[in-house]
Amino acid sequence: MYRESIGDRIVGIVFAFLLVVITLCVLYPLVYVVSASVSQPEAVVTGRMWLLPSGLTWDGYAKILHNRDILTGYGNTVLYTVVGTAINLAMTILAAYPLSRKDFVGRGVISGFLVFTMFFSGGLIPSYLLVRSLHLLNTMWAMVIPGAVSVWNVIIMRTFFQTSIPFEVQESAVMDGCNNRQVLIRIVLPLSLPIIAVMVLFYSVGHWNSYFNALIYLNDRAKFPLQLILREILVQEDMSEMQQSTLTLDNILEKEIIKYAAIVVANLPIFLLYPFLQKYFVKGMLVGAIKG
Amino acid sequence: MTKKKGRVEMRRSPPATFAAGRKPPPLLHAMRRNWDLYLLIAPVIVYVLVFEYYPMYGLQIAFKNFTAANGIWGSPWIGFDHFQRFFNSYYFDRLIRNTLEISLYSLLVGFPAPLLLALMIHEMRRSWFRRTVQTITYAPHFLSTVVVVGIVIMMLSTQKGIVNHVIEWAGGKPIGFMTDPSWFKTIYVLSGVWQSAGWGSIIYLAALAGVDPQLHEAAIMDGASRFQRICRINLPAIAPTIIVLLILNAGQIMSIGFEKIYLMQNDLNIESSDVIPTYVYRSGILGAQMSFSVAVGLFNSVINCMLLVIVNYAARKMNETSLW
Amino acid sequence: MKKSKLAAVLAVALLTVGATAACSSGNDSAGTNASPSPGASSSSDAVNATGFPIVNTPIKLTFFAGKAPSAPADWNQVEIWKEYAKMTNIDVDFQLTPVDSLDEKRNLTLSGGELPDAFHTSRLSAMDVANYGAQGLFIPLDDLIDKYAPNFKKLMDEHPEIKKGLTMPDGHIYSFPTYYDADFKSVLIGSELWLNEDFLNALGMKEPTTTDEFYQYLKAVKTGDPNKNGKNDEIPYAASGIGTLLDQLKGAWGLGNRGNMHPRVDIDPATNELRFIPTAPAYKELLQYMNKLYSEGLFIPDILTVKGPEVNANGKNGLYGSFTGTNARVSFGVADNHYVGAPAFKGPHGDQLFSRARSPLIDIGAFVITKANKHPEATVRWIDYFYSEEGSKMFFMGIKDKSYTENPDGTLSYLPEVANNSEEMNKYVSFAGGYYPAMLTAKTFFGGESYPENLEAARKVEPYWPQEVWPAFTYTADELAEFTPLNTDISKYVDEMTTKFVTGDASFDQWDNYVATLEKMGLKRYMEIYKAAYDRYKA
Repeated sequence: MYRESIGDRIVGIVFAFLLVVITLCVLYPLVYVVSASVSQPEAVVTGRMWLLPSGLTWDGYAKILHNRDILTGYGNTVLYTVVGTAINLAMTILAAYPLSRKDFVGRGVISGFLVFTMFFSGGLIPSYLLVRSLHLLNTMWAMVIPGAVSVWNVIIMRTFFQTSIPFEVQESAVMDGCNNRQVLIRIVLPLSLPIIAVMVLFYSVGHWNSYFNALIYLNDRAKFPLQLILREILVQEDMSEMQQSTLTLDNILEKEIIKYAAIVVANLPIFLLYPFLQKYFVKGMLVGAIKG
Repeated sequence: MTKKKGRVEMRRSPPATFAAGRKPPPLLHAMRRNWDLYLLIAPVIVYVLVFEYYPMYGLQIAFKNFTAANGIWGSPWIGFDHFQRFFNSYYFDRLIRNTLEISLYSLLVGFPAPLLLALMIHEMRRSWFRRTVQTITYAPHFLSTVVVVGIVIMMLSTQKGIVNHVIEWAGGKPIGFMTDPSWFKTIYVLSGVWQSAGWGSIIYLAALAGVDPQLHEAAIMDGASRFQRICRINLPAIAPTIIVLLILNAGQIMSIGFEKIYLMQNDLNIESSDVIPTYVYRSGILGAQMSFSVAVGLFNSVINCMLLVIVNYAARKMNETSLW
Repeated sequence: MKKSKLAAVLAVALLTVGATAACSSGNDSAGTNASPSPGASSSSDAVNATGFPIVNTPIKLTFFAGKAPSAPADWNQVEIWKEYAKMTNIDVDFQLTPVDSLDEKRNLTLSGGELPDAFHTSRLSAMDVANYGAQGLFIPLDDLIDKYAPNFKKLMDEHPEIKKGLTMPDGHIYSFPTYYDADFKSVLIGSELWLNEDFLNALGMKEPTTTDEFYQYLKAVKTGDPNKNGKNDEIPYAASGIGTLLDQLKGAWGLGNRGNMHPRVDIDPATNELRFIPTAPAYKELLQYMNKLYSEGLFIPDILTVKGPEVNANGKNGLYGSFTGTNARVSFGVADNHYVGAPAFKGPHGDQLFSRARSPLIDIGAFVITKANKHPEATVRWIDYFYSEEGSKMFFMGIKDKSYTENPDGTLSYLPEVANNSEEMNKYVSFAGGYYPAMLTAKTFFGGESYPENLEAARKVEPYWPQEVWPAFTYTADELAEFTPLNTDISKYVDEMTTKFVTGDASFDQWDNYVATLEKMGLKRYMEIYKAAYDRYKA
């Protein structure tokens, strides 16, 4: 430890202050959502409730959790997320590592080849036909194979490899007789925990929130992920005038509340994932390994 | 692995597998030496060929009059008709202008925000503070668009919105934020930053984790202030990440999300809020307009691609960082 | 050795791609299984022309359906469908898709997937029906209806406008509609304009009959403190958006004389030609009137951005002088009704027309049969039941004595545990969300629009119902190619400018400019295509 200069200390305090302000600003919508999920719908819809819950009620959660499909939805989502993320991670590393090597002939071409796909896509129908002809429809694989490679993430991981893992270190390992695969596994990956943690987070969240693949590729309700089940009851727009109303106001209002409870129910598990991954972001961990 | 002090020298001579005296061309040599790298990347290439390149044949319907009965291959060609229709729309200028303005504005404000946030968080020494800030700031990313827009509208309401309460308390007149076109873009961008700055800072934090603390210690010995250290050590260390992200974002300029704009749009702010995706959506109301939306999407993609190439080129010239 | 490994990898990659391409292009036709032509099915002789069961050997059918948020999640568990399967000997598998992704999934199914036997409650637009029908994806129903749909046939005979509305440009009928009984006026109206009777009495005013009196009433509500609490907190008119009021008041200027399925076009009484409403001089006057109401603060604040649920939730505070909605009891959840339906106001030129009239043909594409269906006759018989009184009763009320009872006066009521409890109701019926293929009549439907105040309100405006109410028109594929871009831009401009004129963001000096812009956008061509569709309808 060293003694901080006054200037440094002031900067530190200013930063801390700014961060507190930012955090409070950002905290508001979160508190609102949680409060809204347990408030009387009428108070929320009229705007009476704006911070703390008004008229505590667990009806929203009850409605959601009553639905037995929610449990299978959770199970499916966990499965798709775990398998999907594993595949994603593997594919991303397999692409990012070679591309990060200066001596990899053709890296420019291959990078271009990958980047091109970020812009141009054939659309829903050809993809659907492809999945169908590969007999992946209505299987778990339709959830984890399309989208197995995110070029965006490949580029980011490649950049990380390039900047954080000195080429010399890899070179010397090769000189010592390792082949590239061993360099990857024994040297590069252990030093890449921060970026791996980030990728796990990004991909997991992506899978957890996805519903579109499920919508078009799955038919069995038993295979539906959580988001799709929730979507069945979420009201995304105003009830259109055309419909007859056997619903009373209470029913309509109830639906308004569900969307808040749905967010909490759907996201709480994944939201808790980050603190686990956070410890891999601790600074200095990376460098110690290089020295050793 | 043996300990090595200082920098490692790269040996220039090829490994002993080659007979002395025969020098294969360096390119081929490098390829041979790294054969297993090709193996590693092979599955990805196969995947991309099958799942990304192969379906691209669907793009041709942008130039066709697609009907379900004829399928993609059988539908008749109509050339650039869809594009012309798009360009001829009364609203074309407005759509392009709004789309670009909103994107550029988002980039201008939304790009530095996660970076600054990450830099500040990284400086905090108490880990509980860091963790709390990180966890809270990345949480809004999980809120659905519908909910976020609902909250924004509520906060900006002229009747009961907090923002207007504060304005009135300070002596001003309430502002109709959602019905005034001149406020739309600002609201869109700021609410976007609100929702995604925390999530965006994650990648920078990971990159910052790779900065050698020894460099900092050395700089402190030399009397550098915290500010200087951030600018001279942290930033350059993560510069490649920053630039790469900038390039990638440049390639998304024309791709504005539909849902959020649609929810915030109304007839009074439409001057500012009408963008390409909402226009395409409107066009589809009478009946499926698949060809048309693919054509517009293609147009967007081409522009995005061009922008990315340009920005990439600039980045390579300036900092030797580029996507390929 | 190393080279060949690389070559091997690449070769495998290429082969994979090649093989996949070969497989897929074979399938990339309209993506359907080869199916027999309609009518030549193997079981046509096994279909009973009347009565139940419909077929003697059980058959299975797959229906694609859209699920609204308020509808049950799995229709195969809903009582009426289970019961109906037993009655008909036809086992229907309903495959549901949430409504907000309905378009994509439906388009995908039509363009590349396995076609279901039918699309039920799938929100197909008239255009979609015409297009896919013309392309052969949906089968023509004309003969099938003749032979196997006695109930629907009877309906068509009694109401010729049904056939006219359902006939697509190529001359065939491809769909069954959502049909509201033409005599059940209150359900055709849907949302009424309601006036607060208590306020009228407190202000000592009689019910307004002209637009001017309506304006006076609204002003009095705002300034006269009719709820006598010492504060001017009353809201003269409450709704989400100005659209419904606009549609309601059009009639006072003689606009909208062919019903509200055509909000922008009607017939000019002077010339008997099609008239584009938003450029008519009377429309300008209407907007000026609305502008007066808006600028004097007679609308709920934030009317353009406030959402329906919020307006309704505040309704029970009793502060609304008038509002648009189903009725006070349903919309606000209050026990007593203090509102009366508004009459058709008389405008400054003496026009008195109820312009919010809808055509009984509410949704044209509620049910279509695809070319993959091997039992079209049975399917037609299956759907035909819901256009009979018995079928309609079952569809809306559920199972007798399990979800509803018959009252001595002949009306039906839901059982207490089902009434107002959507979860319970969804165990028996699936109609929530609308767009279903069935007939709705006053004898078989008992929702909000059946309340006495609605019936009374409908009676008030009935004399001013338009002489002719058009259903939605249909366009040929070529017409549509031209019409869609015109319609998209013109509609948008009209909506925008209407709002701006009403709020005052555009001054009426710009009116001529506005008309000129519409001409520039191709209004003439728009009207020409409209006329072509209209001529086809008339024929």
